[in-house]
Amino acid sequence: MTAVLDAPRSRLIVSIEQVWSLSVRATVATFRRPTDFIPGLVFPLLMAAVYASQFSRAVDLPAFPEVDSFLQFILPSSILQGIAFNASNAGSDMATDIETGFFDRLISSPVARQSVLIGRVAGAASAAAVQAIVLMSIFLLFGAPVKSGLAGAVALVIISVALGVAISGFGLAVAIRTGSTEATQAMFPLIFVMIFISSAFFPTALMRGWYQSVAEINPFTLIIDPTRNLVISGWSWSDFGQALAMTALVAVVSLGLAYRAYLRRLRVS
Amino acid sequence: MTAKPVEAVGLVRTFGDLRAVDGIDLAVDAGEIFGFLGPNGAGKSTTVRMLVTLLRPTAGTARVAGFDVVKDANAVRRSIGVALQDAAIDPLMTGNELLRLQAVLHGLGSKVGVTRSNELLERVGLTAAGDRRVGTYSGGMRRRLDLALALIHRPTVLFLDEPTTGLDPTSRLAVWEEVRALNDEGTTVFLTTQYLEEADELAGRIAIIDGGRIVREGDPTTLKEQVGDPTLRIEVGDAVMIDIARSVMATFGEERPARAGRVAIGLKDGAARLADVVRALDEQGVPVAHVELDSPSLDDVFADATGRRLEGAETA
Repeated sequence: MTAVLDAPRSRLIVSIEQVWSLSVRATVATFRRPTDFIPGLVFPLLMAAVYASQFSRAVDLPAFPEVDSFLQFILPSSILQGIAFNASNAGSDMATDIETGFFDRLISSPVARQSVLIGRVAGAASAAAVQAIVLMSIFLLFGAPVKSGLAGAVALVIISVALGVAISGFGLAVAIRTGSTEATQAMFPLIFVMIFISSAFFPTALMRGWYQSVAEINPFTLIIDPTRNLVISGWSWSDFGQALAMTALVAVVSLGLAYRAYLRRLRVS
Repeated sequence: MTAKPVEAVGLVRTFGDLRAVDGIDLAVDAGEIFGFLGPNGAGKSTTVRMLVTLLRPTAGTARVAGFDVVKDANAVRRSIGVALQDAAIDPLMTGNELLRLQAVLHGLGSKVGVTRSNELLERVGLTAAGDRRVGTYSGGMRRRLDLALALIHRPTVLFLDEPTTGLDPTSRLAVWEEVRALNDEGTTVFLTTQYLEEADELAGRIAIIDGGRIVREGDPTTLKEQVGDPTLRIEVGDAVMIDIARSVMATFGEERPARAGRVAIGLKDGAARLADVVRALDEQGVPVAHVELDSPSLDDVFADATGRRLEGAETA
């Protein structure tokens, strides 16, 4: 009886099931801990509301791109902010797993080693997709649609998923290396500073001095600008391609760091 | 079944300058409950972590279920069930979800996973709580869930790291009963504990580890007999008299470690001479507040081996 039940199963299928279950666990955990997902929705919306009312006339400045409203202008930035919040949870949740010993429980099972990491990243990616869809819908209700229509909305979700992967990678790298929730959380203000010193809330053309120089080479600017074009101007393959490629590049770096830390942790321990 | 469930030769693990495990040999036979006993920091957990593939040995080799823990780590992981004392259970998940996740981690199909989850929940008496989040469980319930999680793939060797630490007596008995039942079904159990009573109760054979080395090994009865004479403990009513009490008692047997305010000896010829000791103390004017005569316990075995009493032991 046991022999029949335990008949060997395809390794690929088993790995897929493991990644799926672990990412479901990651996602479920996020939604069961309201402090995990509420800030990622409320904070970007609050910022958007304040900025949209305070800077509504900024759109009239020369060199400000052609937009319907300031709200439309910061739609991609709000999504980015929200994702940065949620993706940071992937790191701190991983650190918590390491601190509490749940991580040991996982790796003392014959689970495929990569599944544990991929599960976390996949969890962050799906949270990012939800984030993008929810925020776009709310912005639409407040009269800030995505100009490139459904195609643009789909593109934004795809870019968001890639962003979720890219940003969670940094948190996971720190979490896995240090095994400390505090260290991991301490890293996130850095990401927010980087978002602020980018074109997220203001066009770089209107900045000056070192701030402008930093903003112009900030990867977030290189992601936000083309994504924003999709929101305010209309569909363009090249904008979509540029945003996705830049995000993918960041993701390769961050996942590389996370994977290296992961191998190191498995080797040392 | 030629391979022993657990076999270690010259196992060493260092952390910087600290030799947490300093060259230990272990051989656990199929179907036994092996008690691995020692105070906190003795190297128990480090040893277990090496045996369950969570930690690489610095030197030496270990084979578990016939597989090398380094070269064939995945085969080891498939064969063993592990309930580590410090491996937490995600409080946001339900018992049922955790069991199913564990089934997936072991590569079991979802049908098998569901069936076994239900079986195991029933087995450890958590059916009613299966859909509640673990955060709402009591300590005893968590430990029982932990045990269930370790059993999902029907392992042949079960590692239990301090399974009852921090549990109330009732919960402890429930875990003991379950461990015995599992052993009766043929599972080999490697049990670490700091409770002498637990080792005495469950284990057919024990090893005592102290300072990273195994200082005693054997079945509890033989070990206790080897310690020899029963222990006589006297609580001295007046602290200044303790040295007099000590010198008086030294004539009746070898001194043994005892708590402050007490003197303990291995009483030669046992109970027959108890009255003589009390009389001698009385003649010297030593006020005796309390007298205890104990046949050797595992605690005495431990004290005999290490010169110290085991932390947390009730009788000291």
